[in-house]
Amino acid sequence: MNTHPDEASAALSDIQSRQERVIRAAHIPVWYWWAVAVGMVVIGAAADTRRPVVLAVVIPIAGLCIAALTVAMILGVGRGARIRSNELLRGRGAVVIVFFDWLIVGLTLGLAFGLKAAGAPHPATIATGVGGVLLGLSGPAVTRTLNKIMLSNRAGMSQW
Amino acid sequence: MVSRQSAKFDELIHPPTRLAIVALLAAAEWADFKLIRDEVRLSDSALSKQLTTLEGAGYVEIRKSFVGKRPRTSARLTRTGRAAFQGHVAALQEIVERSGATVIPR
Repeated sequence: MNTHPDEASAALSDIQSRQERVIRAAHIPVWYWWAVAVGMVVIGAAADTRRPVVLAVVIPIAGLCIAALTVAMILGVGRGARIRSNELLRGRGAVVIVFFDWLIVGLTLGLAFGLKAAGAPHPATIATGVGGVLLGLSGPAVTRTLNKIMLSNRAGMSQW
Repeated sequence: MVSRQSAKFDELIHPPTRLAIVALLAAAEWADFKLIRDEVRLSDSALSKQLTTLEGAGYVEIRKSFVGKRPRTSARLTRTGRAAFQGHVAALQEIVERSGATVIPR
């Protein structure tokens, strides 16, 4: 092995650059957040109808659509690669995801119950609408945060 | 992503084209042939040749499937390939560290 330090350094930089590109290529698209937001509003509107048939049909279908989209995102469908998210995100990524999910769910439920207590019409629709807009607007920021975490955990970064 | 791994310079991985392929695959569970080809900027035949070499060494697993009626080829690093890559990264880091130089992460 007669590798010059400059060559080794260039190889390490290239490795990081390649990994950065694949991580960025496999990021969660913006439309995903808005699609989930639409699903939330559909569920909220169905809940406001209070009609058992609507609740029994619409909520499971919307829930399944959101779940299917989420699984497709995790599996990297249509993006050419499935990144090693468990290894790259580690604990910090999980904390960001759980905190964000609970924040949106908590705000939406809190607002819905608050509106209902205040006697507002269509409380679930309004609350999920607000929660959906928050999700759509802040989702890309979560994607950027997760990307940053993954980039900081790519090969060799922990040593420098 | 790489814990302090025992350093082992790997001559098979080190050539720039193969290192680019393996580095890309190391960040992924799997990657489509098309994505690898576009990222590494190789022709189909050149990439096939490199992947076959890596597969022959037990570093890469190539998977062929169909999405609808369209054939789809994807590749992933095997456990052996991942260990070789991590050892190679550690070896490169050692070379840099021994020289007293530092690498500023991009």
